[in-house]
Amino acid sequence: MKARILEGTLAAAGIALMAVGISAHFRALAAPTSRATWGSEATPTAAAPRPTTFAIVDARVFDGTAVLERATVLVESGVIKAVGPGISVPKEVPVVNGYGKTLLPGLIDAHTHAFQDALERALVFGVTTEVDMFTDARFAADRRAEQKRGLVTSRADLVSAGTLATAPGGHGTEYGIPIPTLTRPDEAQAFVDARVAEGSDFIKIIYDDAASYGLKLPTLTRETMTAVVAAAHQRGKLAVVHVSTGRAAREALAAGADGLAHIVADVPADDELVALARQHGAFVIPTLTVIASATGDTSGARAVAADPSLAIYVGSSERRSLDVAFPTPLKGTGGMLRARALVGALKAAGVPILAGTDAPNPGTAHGLSLHEELELLVGAGLSPIEALAAATSIPARTFGLSDRGRIAPGMRADLLMVDGDPTRAIAATRRIAAIWKGGVAVERKPAPPEAAALPVNTNGLVSDFETGTASEFGFGWQISTDAMMGGSSEASMRLVQGGAQNSRGSLEVTGSIKPGSMYPWAGPMFFPGRQPMTPANLSRFTSLAFWTKGDGGTYRVLAFASRLGRIPAEQRFVAGPKWREVVMPLSGFGNGMDGSDLQSLLFSASAGQATFRLQIDDVRFR
Amino acid sequence: MRPLSVRDLRIYGLEARTELLKVMRLPAYALPTIGFPAVFYVLFAVALGGRPQDGAKIATYMLATYGAFGVIGASLFGFGVSLAVERAQGWLLLKRSMPAPTGAWIVGKTAVSLVFSAAIVAVLVVLGVLFGHVRMPLGTWVRLSAVLVAGALPFSAFGLALGYLCGPNSAPAVVNLIYLPMAFLSGLWVPIEMLPTFMKNLAVCLPAYHFAQLALQVVGAGRGGPAWSHVLALAGFTLFSVALALGAFRRDEGATFG
Repeated sequence: MKARILEGTLAAAGIALMAVGISAHFRALAAPTSRATWGSEATPTAAAPRPTTFAIVDARVFDGTAVLERATVLVESGVIKAVGPGISVPKEVPVVNGYGKTLLPGLIDAHTHAFQDALERALVFGVTTEVDMFTDARFAADRRAEQKRGLVTSRADLVSAGTLATAPGGHGTEYGIPIPTLTRPDEAQAFVDARVAEGSDFIKIIYDDAASYGLKLPTLTRETMTAVVAAAHQRGKLAVVHVSTGRAAREALAAGADGLAHIVADVPADDELVALARQHGAFVIPTLTVIASATGDTSGARAVAADPSLAIYVGSSERRSLDVAFPTPLKGTGGMLRARALVGALKAAGVPILAGTDAPNPGTAHGLSLHEELELLVGAGLSPIEALAAATSIPARTFGLSDRGRIAPGMRADLLMVDGDPTRAIAATRRIAAIWKGGVAVERKPAPPEAAALPVNTNGLVSDFETGTASEFGFGWQISTDAMMGGSSEASMRLVQGGAQNSRGSLEVTGSIKPGSMYPWAGPMFFPGRQPMTPANLSRFTSLAFWTKGDGGTYRVLAFASRLGRIPAEQRFVAGPKWREVVMPLSGFGNGMDGSDLQSLLFSASAGQATFRLQIDDVRFR
Repeated sequence: MRPLSVRDLRIYGLEARTELLKVMRLPAYALPTIGFPAVFYVLFAVALGGRPQDGAKIATYMLATYGAFGVIGASLFGFGVSLAVERAQGWLLLKRSMPAPTGAWIVGKTAVSLVFSAAIVAVLVVLGVLFGHVRMPLGTWVRLSAVLVAGALPFSAFGLALGYLCGPNSAPAVVNLIYLPMAFLSGLWVPIEMLPTFMKNLAVCLPAYHFAQLALQVVGAGRGGPAWSHVLALAGFTLFSVALALGAFRRDEGATFG
């Protein structure tokens, strides 16, 4: 009996204790604690705040102007709290070991054109702020508003001129975005006021007729350019002028320009513009990367994209602009030599040099090219430390970015940590170990691999349209119009009797091009790959041939290839009243096109053809 | 009960050593007891760990859960099954007729459970460090091992109860039937976070869950419940098991001696 009581009591006590433990556990889980646990369901109302308080120890620090060989940097809530060799780190602050590495301020690209995913891509390569010299004013306003609301950690920050100042039909108007222009000096103030109202952080002015590129574009007169500079100063904004000749540079500097957006390549190093720049306290953004590309030298672009530390992050966003060449290169020889010599002379004269790339012009890419620019600046005579300052403290100071560009107490923790010592060997900037924006660690994702172009088993015949509109290989033909981009052009295709060279059938295309979209197009599109837009390797062939007849209009063949990104290359043809064979060499599409990565061919009418009708037959590769 | 004397301690020590020797000479027992959790650990934590930076986290998490799994197994089998078998053989009766303290054999079996638990933990630790890339401060290693080995006690008590409740033939099946589902439902195989909510709620009633949570809290991967709630649950479970064992013992005595 006693034993029974003992057992009973023990059992009851045991069950009671278990119940207490279990219920306590449930209650604790129901009230979520702030302690984060792995893969847990501790319900966070917003994303768990990532720690922006940490310390980097034992790293070499380039603070924007000078080098500390071994220092600790303490970051608290995304702001740099202390920098120095003897900083004591509180015990609960997580520590990042920087031994053997160098800490730089987040890089600033002083000359870019930012749209689409530019700012996101720039951050992957260590660029935490981009100074944009011309983009859609609404895009810039949206980004600025986002930045004003709080720290943006997914992309580089944007500082932008918004819409640039140019003459009607001048440089800047050829990109398809309709922009306001001006012609007379008395329009300058109103123009600048409108830019400031749109939110422009500074004023960019085009003073270039593109003669150095073998073109003849309208440009502002000297008086108008001077008036815009004055108007900008009237509103307290910097005036940065784009030039491409020594003469234009001198005139811009004499007009009071605060800075030149490019170095020029046509005058020697002892040109008067050096003295003028010094005298006026102006700065220069050489953009040697784009000048190299404009002279036809793509070796630097290819080298930086192939750099082992950067290559896995180079994807289609970079290839789109990196693998393209200037359609009209800089005329003459020796341009790069002169440009480099001028940069050296300017630096020696004490003119502030800023590192900028003019991305994403041909041969450049956002973020990636800044590393090439740093190397080119060092080749032009800057020391590595001067080049690093040109990409950090100097542009920050120039554009009034008082919270970045330096590693000092009070600065925002925009940081770049690299392996090795870029203060002695500038190429070390490519070996990125970590990036922080506002103290938040940036996650760098390698670029996804691109679809490889498969060679196609074919004798070259695409379609003879004898029995139908099918193709002998590939995905086939499909009508494509600008309706997918908001336009209203239309087209339809059908098999008709009678074709070229007395063959039985041909393809008839009818439709209309309606205005209203930036890039109007309509017509049949052929996909050589298995799926639409899958690249196919047709490099066996050297040209595209087809027979055509039509209403006499000028039509285009638009070729899409992986190397071109989203923008096609085109060749034109006329569809006259009689059947005629058209042979287009694949190389005629430019950009090194050889058919090795062909995604599609679009036979389209051109803008202005309100209604069109054409027939094509016997499409083949040769 | 008379107070412990030095002689008693020596007897306990002897009993423990001989029990250990006996078990170690049974590779059919020793190897699966240690190997089973080790193999599972290697399969789930190391091989399926995923990316290296995630892998170490998974390997550390599973070190705690498979450590618990192994310890529970060692205790339940070491006590439950072997006790049931020895009861049937009449071995216990023989021991009780000897001039040794009656509790000596319990001490012996408990020692075996503890030693095997420690061996399991050691093997898992080595696997974790070598193949799972688990890196922790020394203090954490020590605390984790201590918690895991200490967990042998509640489950030894339960094993004791089972050993008296089951016959020699049914004991292995009953123990497995309780051990394996309990281990799975407590999140010892697949992390508890991956189980559906109703299972998560059910798990809180299982002692293995509380044991695993204590071990996970040492490595910082607990679900956030306070440690004392787990300790309380396990203590309650121990008491309950002891009560069960006493009751089962009494029934067994009744059957043996009428």
